[in-house]
Amino acid sequence: MFKIINLVLFLYFTFNISYANETNTKVDQITKNLRCLICQGQSVYDSQSDFAISMKLVVKKKINEGKEDKEIYDYLKNKYGEWIVYDPELNRNTFLLWSIPLILFVFGGLLIVRKVSIK
Amino acid sequence: MSNYLGNYSLYIALIASVYLIFKSYLDANSENKYLDKNFILITSIQTVMITVSFFSLVAAFVISDFSNETVFNNSHTLKPLFYKVSGTWGNHEGSLLLWLLVLSIFLFIFLLNSRSQDTKYKLLTILFQQIIISGFLVFILLTSNPFKMLYPIPSEGLGLNPILQDPALAIHPPILYLGYVGTSIIFSASLASMISGNIGDKWARHIKKWVLVSWVFLTIGILLGSIWAYYELGWGGFWFWDPVENVSLMPWFCLTALLHTVIVLQKRNSFKEWTIILSITTFSLSMSGTFLVRSGILNSIHTFANDPSRGLYILSFLFILILMSILIFFFNQNKISNIAKENFILSKETAILVNNWFMMFFLSVVLVGTIYPIFLEVLNGSKISVGPPFYNNLLIPFLIPFLIFMSFGPSLKWIKDKLKKLNYNILIIFLVSLLISYVILTKTENSFLLSIPLIVLSIYLLLVTIKDFFVSKSSISQKISHFGFSLLITSILLNGLFSNEFNSNMKVGDERIFNEKVVKLKEVNVTDVDNYKSLKASFEVTNKNSSFALYPEVRIYQQPLTITSEADIKTTLFSDNFLVFNILKDDGYYNVRYQYKPLMIWIWISTIFIGFGGLLSIIRKNEQKY
Repeated sequence: MFKIINLVLFLYFTFNISYANETNTKVDQITKNLRCLICQGQSVYDSQSDFAISMKLVVKKKINEGKEDKEIYDYLKNKYGEWIVYDPELNRNTFLLWSIPLILFVFGGLLIVRKVSIK
Repeated sequence: MSNYLGNYSLYIALIASVYLIFKSYLDANSENKYLDKNFILITSIQTVMITVSFFSLVAAFVISDFSNETVFNNSHTLKPLFYKVSGTWGNHEGSLLLWLLVLSIFLFIFLLNSRSQDTKYKLLTILFQQIIISGFLVFILLTSNPFKMLYPIPSEGLGLNPILQDPALAIHPPILYLGYVGTSIIFSASLASMISGNIGDKWARHIKKWVLVSWVFLTIGILLGSIWAYYELGWGGFWFWDPVENVSLMPWFCLTALLHTVIVLQKRNSFKEWTIILSITTFSLSMSGTFLVRSGILNSIHTFANDPSRGLYILSFLFILILMSILIFFFNQNKISNIAKENFILSKETAILVNNWFMMFFLSVVLVGTIYPIFLEVLNGSKISVGPPFYNNLLIPFLIPFLIFMSFGPSLKWIKDKLKKLNYNILIIFLVSLLISYVILTKTENSFLLSIPLIVLSIYLLLVTIKDFFVSKSSISQKISHFGFSLLITSILLNGLFSNEFNSNMKVGDERIFNEKVVKLKEVNVTDVDNYKSLKASFEVTNKNSSFALYPEVRIYQQPLTITSEADIKTTLFSDNFLVFNILKDDGYYNVRYQYKPLMIWIWISTIFIGFGGLLSIIRKNEQKY
C-alpha cells in the first residue's frame, strides 16, 4: 500500500515539474530553485552576493559539461546539503511534509460527507 | 523625560490590567445584571496610558532622543521625519508596543459597541482580552522594554534599515497589526460566549463585524507588504513564499473560512462548535505569527530580533492561551444547544462547508510548509528548504475544483436547493470562456499541464461573478469580493504565463535585444542625496516603434551601511515593465534585470476589490438580507 501511494505521489510530482514556469535559460531555471545560503531568504537567481555569483558559474559549468538537471541538483545537495534546494524531494524525511496536507484534505472531505445527507 | 513617561504609563496599564482581570472574574461569577461603570473607566485609563506610552516613544523618535536605546538602535538625525515616525514600529520593541496599543483600543471599542450584549458575556470578554493584554505588557516590560536608557547619551543613532524606509512599508505593519489584533477580540469573545452559552444567530451578527474588520485590515496589510516586496526587494515577484509572508497568509485563510461560517451561524443557527474552533485557531495563528517572526527562528528578511528568551516567552504564553482555550472548549461544549439540523447536499450551508474545506487545506499546506523544516531540524538535525515549487505543486491542482465550486456555490439557496435544468446562460458563459482561453493560450509557448483547465475555469469564474452583479440576489459586498477574487486568480495565472525577463551584465552604452525589444543602458549618474549616495541609471527600452525610459537606482546608505536597489517600473493597465540593476565588482559592469509582467496592476486592484467588499459589508446597515 505504502509503495503504491509513494508511486502515485512520485508520478504526480514528476508531472508537475513541467510547470517550473517560463525561465528562458536553464541556468535561470536551476538557480531560481536554489537557496542563496548566505542571504536572508533569497534564491541564488535573485541574489548578487559573491556566493550567488559563484553558484551561477558552477551551474553554468555543469550545464556546459552536459549534466542533467537531476545530476546538478544531486551534486549541489551532496556538497551543501538539502537545504540548498527549494523543492524538497520526496524521501523519508519529507514524506510527512508532502502527505499531511493531502491526508487532512481527505479527512475533511470525509467529515463533510458525514455531515451532509445526500437526498 | 519621555522615557520615564512611557515606562511608567506601562506600569499603570499593567496595574489596571491586573485589577480588571480580578474584577471581571469575580463579577462574572456573581449574578450582577449590569456592567459596573468602573470597567469602562479603568479600560479607558488603561487605553490612555498605553496611548501615552506609545506616543512618548514616537516623540523620542521624532526628537531623536538617543538616551533611549530603541531610538539609538533604529534612528538617525538625518532621517526624514516621516521615517522617524514610522521607525517607531520598524523594530521589535516598538512594534510590540503598537500591538499592545491596538489590543487595548480594540477592547475599548468593543465595550462601547456591545452595550446591548449580555453582561456576563461582556465581563468574560474583558477577562480574556485582559489576560492577553497583561501577557503582552509583562512581555514588553521584561524582555523588550522600548524605554531602556543609555548613558552616556550617544550623539548619533545607528539608523533604520534603508529597505524599511518606504511609504508602503511605513503603513504596512500598523494595518497588518489591526488585522492580527482584531482576531484577539474574536478569540476572547468566542471563549466568553462559549462559557456564557450565548452562541447563536444574535451573537453571530455581533461578532461578524469584528471578523470583517480584522479580515479587511489583514487583506490590505498583506497587499501592502506584497506591493512593497514587489518594488523594493527588486525581485519583481509579488509573493515569494517567504516564511513571514506565509505567517500573514495563514490567519487570512482561517479568517476567510470564519467569515463564511459566521454567516451560516447567523442565518441558520448552526455550525456553532466549528465557528468557535475557527475563532480560536485564527487567533492562535496570529499569535504564532508574532512568535515566529519575533523569535528569529525563521530565516527571513523580516527577522529583526534574535533573542531566544523572547521566543521562549511568547511560546509559553501562546501555549498557555491555547491550552486554556482547549480546556474551556471541552468543559463548556455541553452548553451549546444544537438542534439537529439536516444539511442537504445542494444548499448554501454545504457550499460554505466546501469553502471551509478548501481554506483549511490551503492553510495546512502553508502551515506545514512553513513549520515542517523547523521541526525536522529539531528532531533529526536535517535542514531542508521548502520553497515555491512545493507550494505550487500542492496548491495549484486544488485550485481547479475550488474554482468550480466557487462558480456555483454562492448562488445556492439556504437549506435546500434543487438541481436546475441546464441553464443556457451558464452554457454560453462557459463556451465564451473556452473561446477566450483558446485565444489566450495560442499566444504563449510555455503552457504547462494544468494551465488549460486553470485558465478556462478562472475566466469562467470571472464571467460568472460579473454576471452575478446583474442577476444574483446576494449582497453587493459579496459580489464585489468574489469578483475581486476571481479577477485576482485570473491576473495571477495570466501574469505567470506571460511574464518574461532577461538577466544580463551590461556596461554604459550596451544594448540587449529581448523579445523584439531593445534595452539600452545610456548612462549612470552618481549624486549625493540626504542620507545616501545615489547611482541613477538611465535605460531606454525601444519596442518596435515606441520607446520609453526607465531610471532604476542603486542607493548606498551610510548608517547602517546598506546597498539597496530601487526598481523603476513603468506601469500601464496591461503590463508592467520592471527594471532593476545592481553594482558588480567587475569594473564598469552592472547586473541588469528586465522583466515584462502583464496585468501586474490588476493583482493589486483585484485585492483592493476583495477588501472593499468587506468594507462595504461593515458600513452598510442592511446587509442582513441574504
